[in-house]
Order: sequence, then C-alpha cells, then structure tokens
Amino acid sequence: MKELHISAAPHIHSGVGTGNIMLDVVIAMVPAAIMGVVLFGVQALLVLATCVVSAVAGEAIFNLCVHKKQTVKDCSAVVTGLLLGLNLSTNVPLWQCAVGALFAIVVVKGLFGGLGKNVVNPAIAARVLMLLTFGAVGGGANPVRFVELESSATPLAALNTGVDGLSAAPSLKDLFLGLHGGAIGETCAAALLIGFVYLVVRKVIKWYVPVSFMGTVFVCYLVFTGNPTYALAQVLAGGLVLGAVFMATDYVTTPTTGAGRVLFCVGAGLITFAIRQFGSYPEGVSISILVMNLFTPFLEQWTAKKTLGGIK
Amino acid sequence: MLKRKNISSLHVPHNKHTAACVPERLAVPSEVILPMNMHSGHDAEPIVKVGDYVRVGQLIAREEGRFSSPVHATVSGTVADISPIPTAKGGTTLAIRIESDGKMEKDPDLKPPVIHSCEEFLQALRESGLVGLGGAAFPTWAKFNEMCSGQYTVDTVLVNAAECEPYITSDHRMMVDHTELIVKGVEYLRTYMSEYLADAKFLICVEKNKPDAIAKLKEALADKPYADVHELEAIYPQGAKQVTLYNATGRVAIAGKRFPAFHAVIINVSSFAKMAEYIETGMPLVERIVTVDGPAVKNPQNFIAPIGTRISYLLDHVELKSEPGKVVIGGPMNGNAVVSVDSPIVKVSNAVLVFDEKSAVLPEASACIHCGKCVEKCPINITAWAVEPASRIRDEAEREKALIDTGVRQCVDCGCCSYICPAHRPLLAWNQDQKWWLKQYAAAQKEKEEGKK
Repeated sequence: MKELHISAAPHIHSGVGTGNIMLDVVIAMVPAAIMGVVLFGVQALLVLATCVVSAVAGEAIFNLCVHKKQTVKDCSAVVTGLLLGLNLSTNVPLWQCAVGALFAIVVVKGLFGGLGKNVVNPAIAARVLMLLTFGAVGGGANPVRFVELESSATPLAALNTGVDGLSAAPSLKDLFLGLHGGAIGETCAAALLIGFVYLVVRKVIKWYVPVSFMGTVFVCYLVFTGNPTYALAQVLAGGLVLGAVFMATDYVTTPTTGAGRVLFCVGAGLITFAIRQFGSYPEGVSISILVMNLFTPFLEQWTAKKTLGGIK
Repeated sequence: MLKRKNISSLHVPHNKHTAACVPERLAVPSEVILPMNMHSGHDAEPIVKVGDYVRVGQLIAREEGRFSSPVHATVSGTVADISPIPTAKGGTTLAIRIESDGKMEKDPDLKPPVIHSCEEFLQALRESGLVGLGGAAFPTWAKFNEMCSGQYTVDTVLVNAAECEPYITSDHRMMVDHTELIVKGVEYLRTYMSEYLADAKFLICVEKNKPDAIAKLKEALADKPYADVHELEAIYPQGAKQVTLYNATGRVAIAGKRFPAFHAVIINVSSFAKMAEYIETGMPLVERIVTVDGPAVKNPQNFIAPIGTRISYLLDHVELKSEPGKVVIGGPMNGNAVVSVDSPIVKVSNAVLVFDEKSAVLPEASACIHCGKCVEKCPINITAWAVEPASRIRDEAEREKALIDTGVRQCVDCGCCSYICPAHRPLLAWNQDQKWWLKQYAAAQKEKEEGKK
C-alpha cells in the first residue's frame, strides 16, 4: 500500500481561495467597465486592456526577475490593473496607462513584498502618481454618446463652486446613470452599485464599509450646506462610489476589524469632504484613501477585538 | 441573566451520513494494539508480560504518575508483544499487542463496583479507565476529583453532546440507542456526589441537527426537574467547552482558570454513558462506537469495535471508492492524520475518516491578504493572522508580548481560522505551535526568577 498523506488539522477547507475572491472582485467591476465602454467608446476598452495587460505582465516579469513563486494565477494583478483603468479617463495616453500599471504592480506592491505586504493601495498610488506627473487623469473626457455636454468641466468642478453650482452640474439622474464627464469607471453609479451588491452577496465585503464612507461625505455636506440634493450630488459625482466600493474595501490596506474599517471610512470621508470643500483640487477620494491606508496599522491595533474570557 | 452575544462560528457541511446507522458489532479482530498513552497525562505502565493470557476487561497496565488512566484488555487472548510505537504527536509510546483467541472471554473477577461514598465513586471511575471521549482524553475521575477539592462550587453539569464535527455520529448513536444510560448517569452522579451536585442542574447540550436524540432525551428526562436538554444551534464549534459553557449558561471561561471555577463541569456524553455502564456492569472501557466515513467511503457505517482494533480492520468492513490518500482519526476539523492504517483506534477515536487522493492534499499556503476572516470566524476573537508575524520576532520578551496580544493563549483548537483562510494558511497549526512556545517560555522565565531568589 502506498504511503498516506500527513497534515495538520483541519483536513477540510471552505473551498474559497484568494483566487476566488479576486475573481469575484473582477466580476463586480465588470458592469462599471461595460458602462465605461458604452459611454466612452473603444478608447475606454483600450485603456482598460492596457492597464490589465501591463499589470499582469508586470507581475509575471517581476516574479521571474526576483525568483519568486509565480502568483499571476491569483488574479490580484487583474484587480489592480482593472481598478486603475476604471480610475483613468480616456484622455490619458496608453503609454501613460502602462507606466501607471507597472508602477502599481512593481513599485507599490512587488517591492514591498508582493500580495498582502503593500502599505497603500497600488491602484490609488499609481493614480495619484499619474495625477502629479502627467496632469489631470480623471476628468476631461466626455462620454462619446448620448449626451452633448457644453463644457468639459467635470460635475465636481461645477459642484465645488458651492450650492449654486448645482444648476451647472448634471441632474441627479444623469449622475446616477453616468451621463457626464469623468474617469471610465467612476461616472456610472448604477453600475458600481450592482458591483457593490454582488460583493456583499458573495460575502467578499461588508455592506457597512462603502456605506460609512459615502454616508460620512453625505452627512458632512448636509450639515455644511443643509441641501440634501447637493449632498447627494456630491456623493454621486467624482470617484466616491468607485473608491468606496472597490478601494476602501481592499483587504490588504484596510483594517481587519469591523470597527477599524468603519473608522477608516469615516476618516476617508472627512478628508474627502475637506479636500473637495476647502482644498485646491476638486477630487479628494484617492488622496483620502491613500492617507487612511497609512493609518491602517494604528486603527488595527486600536480596534483589536477583546478575546472571549481574555484579560487585557 | 447576562446579555449574550453570538459567538462567532462557522457553517461547515455536517455530512452526518451515518446518523441513522445503528452501530454494528464487528467480528472479533485477530489482534488489538493498546498504546499506553490513550489519555492525557502520564503513560500507563504495563503489568503483563509477553505470553500472558488475558481476558476482556482485565487490567493490563496501571496508572503511573499524577494524571493517568489504566488500560484493560479489550479481547481475550495472549499478549504477543510489548514494544514502542510512534504516536500521532511525533514521539513514541509503549503498546501492548494482544493476539485474540476469538472467544472474547470476560475476566471472571469483573463485578459492578460497590460504592458507598464519593471517594469510592471516584476510585471506581479511576479503575474504569474512563477518559473524556470527546477528544481531550482527560481522565474522567480527575475531572470530578478536581471539583471535590473544596475550592469550587458546581451548580451546572454540562453533558457535551454537541458533536459539532462533521461526519461523526458516535455520540449521536449513543444518545439514541442508549438513552437510558444517560438518564442513569445523571442519577448516579446525583447519588454518589450528592455533597457537591445535589442542587446542580444537568444540561445535556445537543446540536439541533439531532432531533431524534433531542426528542428521546427530552422524553426520558421529562420527570426530572434537575435535568434538561439544551439545544444548541447546529454550527461549528458548539462542542468546544468554552463555547458550550457560554451558550448554555452565559458564563465566560476566563483564561487561565480551571473549568470548575465557572461553577460548571463538562463531560462528553459518551463518557457519561460509559460511566453509567461501568457502574452497572463493572466492565471497564474496552469498546466504543466508531464512525467510518469520509469522501473515499462508499457506504459509511458505525461500528462497535474493541479499542485497539487496527484501522485497516475497520476499513475491511466498508467499501472504499478509491485508494485512501489520507486517514484521519477524529473529526475533519480537529482529528489527527495517521501514518498508516495499521495504527489502532484508541479510547477517544470517535471516527475514522478516509480521504481520497484528491481531497487528501489541500492547496499550498499563499500570502496573507489581510481579509480578517480568521478573526471574524474565531469563537474566541483571536487575531489569528497576526500570530505568525509575531512568532518571527527575535527578542523573546517582545515576542511573548506580541503573541499574548493576539489572544493565541485562549485558542480552543477548533480550526475555524484555517478552514476559512482563503490563502490556505495553516493558522491552527501556528496557533498550537505558539501556544506551546508561550508555555515553555513562561516556564523558563519562572525558573529564572526562582533561580535569582
């Protein structure tokens, strides 16, 4: 008789691996990606494809160079690439997309030790780098179909002038459906919410994480202006929904405890509000998440759960 | 009443295929192997020699050291060999091999114990070779002895019949087929330990996925106001004693304290029934119900087998779908994989699970993605993902502090963390490892302190 396998308990597993989770995240981004292509045309598809291909190739080559086990199969590079693509507008030249994706995978993730070791969200770090080096990455592009916008100003630019800006910005319905200028994946809140529901149903993320982020921004504007329509427009405009659903829920760079995650989102919401309202830059979601990423280890410790029967 | 929170737990597939299988008594095996470490504590000491003729129930190894348990012959026949065998934990232990003569002749000296006092009751338990059959194998007499030390008042006796591990139904069958033994067990304890348990409430804690057992027990205990069935949600790990205690009484098991400090004593239902059987017949623990199941078994079954029966003998009595890839004694969440099917079943072996080649090997571990599922599913709220990084700290004092912060000392070994980890990291194994290290370190520190004085 041949030898038996020996291993430590438990001998069974839930069957849900890292790859399955990453694949779920990719699936959840598909509606937003499709809407991006519908709204912005073939160029959107090229941007998304460039980002994904560069990210995956970057990961594969990096692993080869540093003699690490090949990790392409876990789909995490696809998530990073797709997420970055959704955060870019069709105005961004493709070579810049590739540079951004490579920066995300190689510098932000790979050099920190690979999956699970990065301190900040790779897609966000790349987006912010591109913003600083290449100029505007998010706004600028207008949907190629359905709407003829008079100016190329993003809704946020209009909104951030104050409550009066509401008249110059798209209607709430247009904001919800994505019929306005912006990055490929951020405009259509409806598609993002489909992804949100999917992730919650698949138990990949907790519903309260995106809700507490968006809720904080909504409440801040409501208190500040007293205008619910305006506050809602602020939630729907810009990258808030995309960031709240797909970036504030990133496992690696956010706390593992429920309380920590909520604090993370409240912090990110406050920073987003502060940047949009008082800062010189119209959009604050990326930077707020980036800043909160750095708070993660602290929040983690601060909100560590008390063990049952443990003496602290 | 304390406000009770839900303890984190996990839905694992129950796979209780054998719930309706009445245990079948196996034909006498040609030989049995009885290791001396079938209980927690010190190994027992053989008192027979090679060539001796022994009968069923005859004492063949006596207690040795403070916590130990005697071993009895489980078949009649000749002692063929006394030599060391490897253990699941990596060491070796002496084992007595008895070649059976097939007659199953009972030791004529066996008679029901005569009990007049609590001391005599404990002595009887001690001689019965009874241990906790749920998995820990803690000598049963020691459990009750601890309670009598005068330090504790016990108002609740928890009979642990959760059987929360997948596949296993041996406790379930015990409850359904021998309900009367459990009722008698309650009466015996009330009678013989009346000084301590006269006012105690007996709670038989059963998971809701065993409605037939619950119904039978409820009926049998209907006229006993001091005993009741406590229904537990059918969700893993209800049978971990800290979890059972909390769910049944609302009390929290404070780390570092002995169990009776929570005014409760907990005993596995099969041990409980076997205790009653021993008091009635005087037959020590020589056989048990074993569930044989697993992904590679075509016709899962329950058997009554002499303790010491080789696993291969049990497997001969079921049909296998494929060659075994892994054989586990106990449940799939907590059991031990055996090196060979020549290993015997021991006192605590409630199940033998056979995995096929495909299900035998779980995927290799990959990087932690910080998803927090291990924390979320841990019944004790241990930060399991942080244990391995903490274990890498070089400075021993720092390492101890970091490990204690994760809560790993309170780990109940349920395995929920490893089960749910998407990166397939062996979190439970690390927990056990580091728990052991912490104990060693604390002991070494204590020694150093004392050395200074």
